[in-house]
Amino acid sequence: MDFNLPGEDDPRRVKVRAWFEKNPNPTYAQLAEQGWTASNWPEPWGVSADAETQFIIDEEIVRAGLELPYTINAIALNQCGQSLLTHGAEEQRQKFLPGALACEDIWCMLFSEPSGGSDLGGLRTTAKRDGDHYIVNGHKIWTSVADEASVGVLVARTDASKPKHMGLSVFLIDMHSPGVTVNPIIDMTGNKNEYNEVFLDNVKIPADALLGREGDGWRIVMEQLQTERVGMTKPGVVWGMGPTARDLMDGLIKTGRISDPLLRDDAAKVYIEGEILRLLTFRNMTNRINGTPAGFEGSAGKMMSSPHGQRMADIAKRSQGASGMIRDPDVLPLPNKKWGMFSNWDYAYWFSPANTLGVGTQEVLLNVVAERVLGLPRDSDPTAKVPFSELSGGLAKAAE
Amino acid sequence: MNFALSEDHEFLRDSAAKFVDEQVDLSPLLRPGADVSDAGYDQLWDKIVELGWSAITVPEAYGGLGMDYVDLIMIIGETGRTLAPSPLLGTLSGAWAIEKAGSEAQKSELLPKLAEGLKLALAVADENGAYDNMDSDVTAKPSGDAFKLSGTKSFVVDAASADKIVVSALNEGRKDFFVIDRNAAGVDIEVLQWRDITREVCKLVLNDVEAERLEQSSDDVWPWVRDRMYLVLAAENAAGIRMVLDDAVTYAKERIAFGRPIGAFQAIKHQLANIAGSAEGANAIVQYAAWALSEDDGQGSLAATMAQSYTSEHYKEATHRNIQVFGAIGFTWEMKNHLYYKRARCNAELLGSPASQREQVVRMLEQEAA
Ligand SMILES: Cc1cc2nc3c(=O)[nH]c(=O)nc-3n(C[C@H](O)[C@H](O)[C@H](O)COP(=O)(O)OP(=O)(O)OC[C@H]3O[C@@H](n4cnc5c(N)ncnc54)[C@H](O)[C@@H]3O)c2cc1C
Repeated sequence: MDFNLPGEDDPRRVKVRAWFEKNPNPTYAQLAEQGWTASNWPEPWGVSADAETQFIIDEEIVRAGLELPYTINAIALNQCGQSLLTHGAEEQRQKFLPGALACEDIWCMLFSEPSGGSDLGGLRTTAKRDGDHYIVNGHKIWTSVADEASVGVLVARTDASKPKHMGLSVFLIDMHSPGVTVNPIIDMTGNKNEYNEVFLDNVKIPADALLGREGDGWRIVMEQLQTERVGMTKPGVVWGMGPTARDLMDGLIKTGRISDPLLRDDAAKVYIEGEILRLLTFRNMTNRINGTPAGFEGSAGKMMSSPHGQRMADIAKRSQGASGMIRDPDVLPLPNKKWGMFSNWDYAYWFSPANTLGVGTQEVLLNVVAERVLGLPRDSDPTAKVPFSELSGGLAKAAE
Repeated sequence: MNFALSEDHEFLRDSAAKFVDEQVDLSPLLRPGADVSDAGYDQLWDKIVELGWSAITVPEAYGGLGMDYVDLIMIIGETGRTLAPSPLLGTLSGAWAIEKAGSEAQKSELLPKLAEGLKLALAVADENGAYDNMDSDVTAKPSGDAFKLSGTKSFVVDAASADKIVVSALNEGRKDFFVIDRNAAGVDIEVLQWRDITREVCKLVLNDVEAERLEQSSDDVWPWVRDRMYLVLAAENAAGIRMVLDDAVTYAKERIAFGRPIGAFQAIKHQLANIAGSAEGANAIVQYAAWALSEDDGQGSLAATMAQSYTSEHYKEATHRNIQVFGAIGFTWEMKNHLYYKRARCNAELLGSPASQREQVVRMLEQEAA
């Protein structure tokens, strides 16, 4: 057992740092050439970095003053891109991955629909084969970065005669195809259109946009969500990203707010939780290095870190009292790091209700942990075994 | 970096598990009115000594096994999981006080006896449970080559069954550490009606008791020993959380209500999923604290304090949830659920509350920042 993190003189670190010294202010395309935007992926895309090497590379990217690639192009690099390595055809990899790794082609994830996000298997968007292409019709919603994205990872129903989870397929679509309409939705922070709704109206996509085989959709999507959640165990304030409880404590001490007796104990609690999440992240890394099958990580880590982030952001806000209710990005001092949109406590706080909604709601995650980790009986779903087309109401009609 | 247990650790844990599963029997405690005297901890102690656990962290130079704190928590995890009643905690605490406060000669004399089964206790808290009282604590008066101690200590774990007791006492405005014989003249020990009946906790009244001063006594001794005691309690807590979780999960799969196992209801599922989170977190922070103390890495004290705070808070919660999941049967004396509930509650007070440890954590961080 050894809890020491790779040191300053670690040869892997020295090598990466030397490159950054020779190449100050690199573009992400340059980082991608080094294989560092998804370093854990195999060559030629990444450098097959083990978890520890990946950790070093990421630390050095941050040290060089850059935002981490997988927060810039999260859907491609953290969630969905890996599916192309396992399920994709070589032509698909050549077509989609270089742009994704260079952070030039932003991806979005077209999963949730107005009729439901938790019950993803009940989705109504259809993709019908028509010669050498598919025709897609439907309505997606809550799609983060769809307005900037050039590639959409779409889940659609290809066979309504099968039960709901069985007739789904995944496609990689060009977001600029005719028939795709993206409408931004302003979220409650009012800062930015965090997500969008996407109308798919007779969108014609080539048959080779299909990832894996028809009917593989559910399996691929579950893999993607799992990868996504593992990344979210990290102790950052929103979905594992942004400042941590260490940064919070630092700020509270620097500003003297820590001496408020009504805040002090809660701050300590959150600090300790943050340290534990950090340890769990490192334990996940160890398991990956040692090839130990993933046990608790993923859903359980997100189950713990999402409410932790909410408590953390709340304390940052509480430290300001009524003044914190005025729009003000400088709630507490933060180290000079690039965390993307969560680089200030004010935004992180108003964003934090989303922590326990996106990428599986807290309720759904608690179910997943209870069922998959603890082995408790599955929740019953009366619609699970019935052919989708026989389900009553609008569901069946939409699928026809 | 490697956050995994080694094969040696796993082997140690598995053999400890086998031992406690065979030897620990809580059933005599499940009769209404039972107390710690029914816990049968003398028998278990003899076997623990045979295994060498009584001297597990004692350096090899003093006849111990010289193992580190990660090894220690492999064993404490198992004794904690089964609430194994024995004077191990008292003995470990006394041994650490001697290791830190004793002179070379004192260590050479006392520590080797641990491997032979010497039982120790450590008396620091006063009658009110305060560990830092500088007013009306036990006082030490010089008497020839030795000292005489008078006053009252309380919340002394395993004092009644100890052979020797290490006592902190006021000596010229300092808190020094002294060793007394349990059977010396003037020692009066009352076993308290401590609610955790798997543990012997005592009050100690000393009346001109002959005592030997530990010659390296200093202000650093108590914090050093306390961090290790935090670790032991935290390791018990972490293992206890896992145990009551597993028990509740098993029960939730068997007990039927409204035609379904109660574990199919989300109100139950979600409680158990949350406990699974605390169990994992508790395990991680305890292992980290054990490693940091073993490595003397500078974060050891912070880690041990965090570990005790987090695990005892969550152990309380988990044992309460465990009773809730069992329903009324879980509230009876004849079930062992209450033994865990009481262990958790008592562990969360014995060395101060989780909130008091959080206060320590913040102070350490403030100091670091200053
Ligand atoms: C900021 C943000 C970004 C997002 N980005 C994307 C994206 O990029 N792509 C995408 O596809 N989706 C995205 N989502 C959508 C997200 O995945 C869904 O919001 C989520 O899955 C929940 O679905 P819903 O909103 O339809 O709520 P519902 O599924 O309608 O849930 C409503 C409530 O019912 C509860 N509930 C539902 N089922 C159960 C159950 N079985 N047991 C107990 N309680 C239950 C839920 O927990 C919730 O509290 C995003 C969401 C947010 C907030």
